[in-house]
Amino acid sequence: MRTPRSALAWPAWFWFVFFFLLPVGLVLLYSLGYQENAFKQIPKLDLSNPNWGNYQKVLDPDYFPTFRRTLQIAVTGTVVCLLVGVPFAYWLAVKVPAKWRGVLLGLVLVPFWTNFLVRTIGWQLILSPQGFFSTFLQNVGIRDEPLAVLYTRLGVQIGVVYNYLPLMILPLFVAFDRIAPELREASKDMGAGRWRTFFQVTLPLAMPGVAAGMLLVFIPLMGDYITAALLGGTKGSMAGQLVASIFLSTFNWSLGAAMAGLLIAFILASIIVFGALGLVLRWIVRSRRRVQLPQGVAG
Amino acid sequence: VSTDQLRPNRPSTDWPRLLLTVWGVVVFVFLFAPIIVIVIYSFNRGDLLVDWDGWGLHAYRTFLDSPIPQQAIRVSIVVGIISALLATVLGSLAGVALARRPGRWSVVFLALVALVLVTPEIVDAVSLLPWFVELGDGPLPAFTYGTQAGYLRLIVAHSLFSTAVVALIVRARMAGIDESLEEAASDLYATPSRRFRQVTLPLMFPAVLAGAFLSFTLSLDNTIISSFVSLPGATPWPVYVFASVKSELRPVVAAVSTLMLFLTLFAISMVALVLRRGGDSSSDIARTMAGGG
Repeated sequence: MRTPRSALAWPAWFWFVFFFLLPVGLVLLYSLGYQENAFKQIPKLDLSNPNWGNYQKVLDPDYFPTFRRTLQIAVTGTVVCLLVGVPFAYWLAVKVPAKWRGVLLGLVLVPFWTNFLVRTIGWQLILSPQGFFSTFLQNVGIRDEPLAVLYTRLGVQIGVVYNYLPLMILPLFVAFDRIAPELREASKDMGAGRWRTFFQVTLPLAMPGVAAGMLLVFIPLMGDYITAALLGGTKGSMAGQLVASIFLSTFNWSLGAAMAGLLIAFILASIIVFGALGLVLRWIVRSRRRVQLPQGVAG
Repeated sequence: VSTDQLRPNRPSTDWPRLLLTVWGVVVFVFLFAPIIVIVIYSFNRGDLLVDWDGWGLHAYRTFLDSPIPQQAIRVSIVVGIISALLATVLGSLAGVALARRPGRWSVVFLALVALVLVTPEIVDAVSLLPWFVELGDGPLPAFTYGTQAGYLRLIVAHSLFSTAVVALIVRARMAGIDESLEEAASDLYATPSRRFRQVTLPLMFPAVLAGAFLSFTLSLDNTIISSFVSLPGATPWPVYVFASVKSELRPVVAAVSTLMLFLTLFAISMVALVLRRGGDSSSDIARTMAGGG
C-alpha cells in the first residue's frame, strides 16, 4: 500500500502533539488540583477532587488588577499601532514612488529582525531619567525635572507600541498594495473627494489587512513579559510576569496553571469578540452602501 | 504614463501627500531610535551601559576577553541553526501536505497550528519545563542528563512555533503553484523522491528559505521559553542579557548586539537577493520574509 501524501504532515503532527498539546494540557490539568510533592521538583497531579477554586482565586484583588491592566495595555497598544500604522502603510504602499518602496519596506523590517530584548533595552536608555534624552529635554527647557516615564505604565505602553508596530505595518502594507489603483481613480472620477475615497473604497478593501494586523499585534502583546519587565516596574507589570513568578517563586502550580489557562481564555475570547464586532460593522457598512465593491480585487 | 500626469490642473502643494510623508519620516525615526541608541552606546567607554563616559572601543575589546558572553552567542547560534533546520523540514513537509492534500485532517491540523501560534510564550514556557523534567527523569534521560541536554531542550522548544510558521508560509507558496507541474514529472516516470527533489523542492524553495531564516531569527530572539527551560552550561544569548538586565547592564551587551545587528542585516540582504533572483517583486519578498505568506 502506498502511503498517502498527507503523511508528509505526520512528523509535524507528532511534534505538536508530543511537545505542545500534551505539556500544555497537562499544565492546564494542574489548575484543577494537585498535591504538594516534597521530594520532587514537580508537584503531583491529584484530580480526586477537581474544582475551579484556583480560577476564582485569580479574581482576587491581589491578582485581578494585573489581568485587567494587561488587557487595557493590549487593547490600547493595538489601537495605537493601528492609528500609527494605517497612514504609514498607506503612504508606503500608495504615495511612495515604486522604486523606493522595496528599500523603505526593508527598513521597516530592520527593527523586526533586531533582537526584541535589545530594542527594549534601547528604550530603557532613551527613557531613563539620567539618560541623554532626559538631559536634552531639560537643557532645551521643555522639562524642568528628569523624565519620569521609565518604570511607569506609559513606559510599557510606548515599548509595546514600538515592539509590535512592524507586525501591524506589514499586513496593512500588503493590503493597500494589492488594491488596484484604478478603483481609487474610478472613485475620484465619479466625484468622490480624497477622504471619501479613502474611507469608502480604500479602507474597506484593506479590511483583511487591518484584521490581520490587529490579531498579529494583540495576541503576542497579551502574553508579553519582556517589555513590561524592562520598562514597567511595579506600576506596569503584566500577566505574563505574574504567571512566571507564581510558577518560579511561589511554586503554586495550580494557581499558576489557572492563570495560564485564563490568559489563553482571555485571548480566545478577545478574538471572538473582535471577530463578531467586525462582522457587525461590515453588515452595517454594507446595508448603508448601495454599490458593492468587487471582492476579488482585495486579494 | 501614470494617470496622475494625465489629470489637469493639479494643485501646486499636495498637502495630504506632504503630511503623509512627514508622518512616514516620524515613524521611521521612532522605529530606528532605540536601535541607533544601542549602536552608539556600544562605543561607551564607561563601566555601565546607561552612564555615557565618552567614545571608545572598550566594550568590543571586553567581548574578545570574556568567555561567558562568547559561549552564550555560540549556544544561540548552534541552537538557532539546528532548530531552524528541524522546523524547516517538519514545517515544509506539513505545508506541502496542506496545500496538495487538503481534507478533513487539514482543518484539524490548521486549528492546531493556529493554537500553537496564539498560545502566549509564557504558557509554553511553564508547560515545557515540567514536561522536559519528567521526560528527563523517565523515558528520555537525554532531556536532563549529559552535556547536550540543555541544547536539546532549547532546540525542541524553539522549533515548535517555527514549525507552525514554516508550515503556513510553505502552504501559501504551494497553493499558488499549479500541481500539474509535479504531475508532469510523475507522468515522465520520475520516482516520488526524484519528483520531490527536482520539481517540488525548487518550486517551494523561496518559501523554504524564508521560513528557515525566520525560524533562525525567532530562535535567536527567544527569551521567555529559553529562560525557563535552559540548563547551566547552555545559556543562550538573550537569557544572558535578560539576566544582566536584572543585575547590571554593561556596554558589552550593546557591542555584541551591534555585531549581531550587522550580521542579521547581512543575512537579510542575502536572502532578499536570492528571492529577487527567483523573480519575486520587492513587496513579495518583504511579505514572504515577514511570514505573511
